[in-house]
Amino acid sequence: MTTYIVRRLLYAVLTFFGITVATFVLIHSVPGDPITFFMGRAGLNTLTPATVDALRKEFHLDEPLPVQYLHWLRGAVTFDFGHSVIDRRPVRAVIFEKIAATFQLNFVAFLVAAGLGVPIGLWSAARSGRRAERASALGFFLLYSLPSFWVALLLIRFFSVRFDLLPLFGMVSDYHSQLSGWDRFADRIEHLILPVITLSYAQLAIFARFSKSAVTEVIRQDFIVAARAKGAGPVAVIWHHAFRNALIPMITLFGLTIPYLMSGSVIVEQIFQWDGVGLLYYNAILARDYPIVMALTVVTAVVTLLASVLADILYGFADPRVRVGEGNE
Amino acid sequence: MRGESTWLLAWRRFRRSRLATFTLGYVALMTVVALLAPAIANRKPLAQKTAAGWEFPAVADFWINDPDIELPPSNPIVAYWPPVPFSPNSVSLGERLEAPGRVHLLGTDDLGRDILARMIHGARVSLTVGFFATAIALVVGSLLGAMAGYYGGASDWIVSRLIEVVLCFPFLFLVLGIVALFKPSMATIMIALGLTSWTSEARYIRGEFLRIRDVEYAQAARASGARDARIIFRHLLPNAVAPMLVSASFGVAGAILTESALSFLGLGVPLPTASWGSMLSKAYEHVEYAWWLITFPGLAIFTTVAAFNIIGERFREALDPRS
Repeated sequence: MTTYIVRRLLYAVLTFFGITVATFVLIHSVPGDPITFFMGRAGLNTLTPATVDALRKEFHLDEPLPVQYLHWLRGAVTFDFGHSVIDRRPVRAVIFEKIAATFQLNFVAFLVAAGLGVPIGLWSAARSGRRAERASALGFFLLYSLPSFWVALLLIRFFSVRFDLLPLFGMVSDYHSQLSGWDRFADRIEHLILPVITLSYAQLAIFARFSKSAVTEVIRQDFIVAARAKGAGPVAVIWHHAFRNALIPMITLFGLTIPYLMSGSVIVEQIFQWDGVGLLYYNAILARDYPIVMALTVVTAVVTLLASVLADILYGFADPRVRVGEGNE
Repeated sequence: MRGESTWLLAWRRFRRSRLATFTLGYVALMTVVALLAPAIANRKPLAQKTAAGWEFPAVADFWINDPDIELPPSNPIVAYWPPVPFSPNSVSLGERLEAPGRVHLLGTDDLGRDILARMIHGARVSLTVGFFATAIALVVGSLLGAMAGYYGGASDWIVSRLIEVVLCFPFLFLVLGIVALFKPSMATIMIALGLTSWTSEARYIRGEFLRIRDVEYAQAARASGARDARIIFRHLLPNAVAPMLVSASFGVAGAILTESALSFLGLGVPLPTASWGSMLSKAYEHVEYAWWLITFPGLAIFTTVAAFNIIGERFREALDPRS
């Protein structure tokens, strides 16, 4: 087990370097540097060449690429990503300010998706092949094909415009600070509903589908036949025997959910003006605020990496075949 | 009879599903609409007879991206018009935000442009991006996957690490970054999508090659002195084509979805070229009353994406011996 964990961690370190190099190379292969772009945008053609050189020096843009990379990497490991090119605030502070909002949205969306999707998957596995199950499988499949921004528009159209039940956008109402404790909470929930639906329905379909196939895979095995033979009912078979074994592959899926949700956040936060890192990323891309773009890309990728390492280690604990198999490969 | 029997079997199983046959027909129809868009929705006549003889004004639009708005000065004696007599970019300020009616079947947008005409031309963008991005992903994915699976060892290790790195990035972050920082255009989008979505193909081909690289016919080819490239492309890869079509079908669906998301965010194909995604971002501005702006482009994206997903899914089932 120790060998397995150590090997997994070593791979993770390599992947970390891969992530940082990929991000760095991508950003630096873009024609022009942020200074020239910023000058052009702000109409600062009046800057003297000396000032431009000073700025280049400050952002280490005057040094060869590998040196720039090392400078940046040294900062990145201590979570120091420099300053935003646009408003000159530390990148770290900007990200910390926004991350709670995104976490809140994604966490609720994840709970909804897993809380509904997994039971639906179990139900589908137990009722596999019946008419109702075939219909619902197709339904979830279609759900997965819905563009999230269209869903958001339809939801806004019905719940906010037509029936005026839920707020159009934003995280809280303008009068939020004047509300009492309970009303404040209700206000927050009201603002959460539409973004959470938009963010979670596709994930729900994925969870339902994946947990169904994971359970179905287990159901085919001999010990399930044995459980049935001893007289266990369909619910007991699924719940006690199949689901526990199916949980193992699902651990990995949960780890890979993070990048999906983050991708979704960019669209959802933009539509609902949710002031989180998705919106921050979008605005940073438009403004070519490279330090922010690089920091957000690396941070999410590393969080995903950590989650997948954790999932793999849990997987190793849960299923001895994994750690043995890894050695043979 | 060479490899046909497997194909025929899968095809027959596929055809058994009425839904699959229907969606395949729908995709074929969409493709025809996309290919013939300038002849279906155009302000210019398909063919007209003037004093100078016969002319075909709409034909020229097949070679330009944004069909021009000006009508040729002519006085036709006879003219044959396309079924939708509007160009996607012809602005008509007197007909702004008209609800669906007899003239504009699906209504107009805030510049008075015909929604149906824009959707017909938008199909070009969506399907072109979908097919080409998937083609790039397939080529990159199968080359890397084949290398990893066939040679194993160091190349397998490198490809596997590469896949791990790509999978760590949120997909849209990467695509959005590439498209926005280099210039948004159809080519950039296709390349960005292709270079970020090859991982599932690569993983699949790798697994397939690990399994079949030492089967008898590969050994026979090797024994008769065939070079690696020949074994890979001639003997092994054709055996993985059918399942690759499954993943290609899902790939096209995903690419169309992502392209429309990029266009919705304003980072897709540059305006005024009509695309389903950018039409929806217009809809967002008029969400209070113009329901037709939301409904139709959204339905177009949804049905097309769903069709490709259903085809992939049913084809996968048709190939699965267990089903």
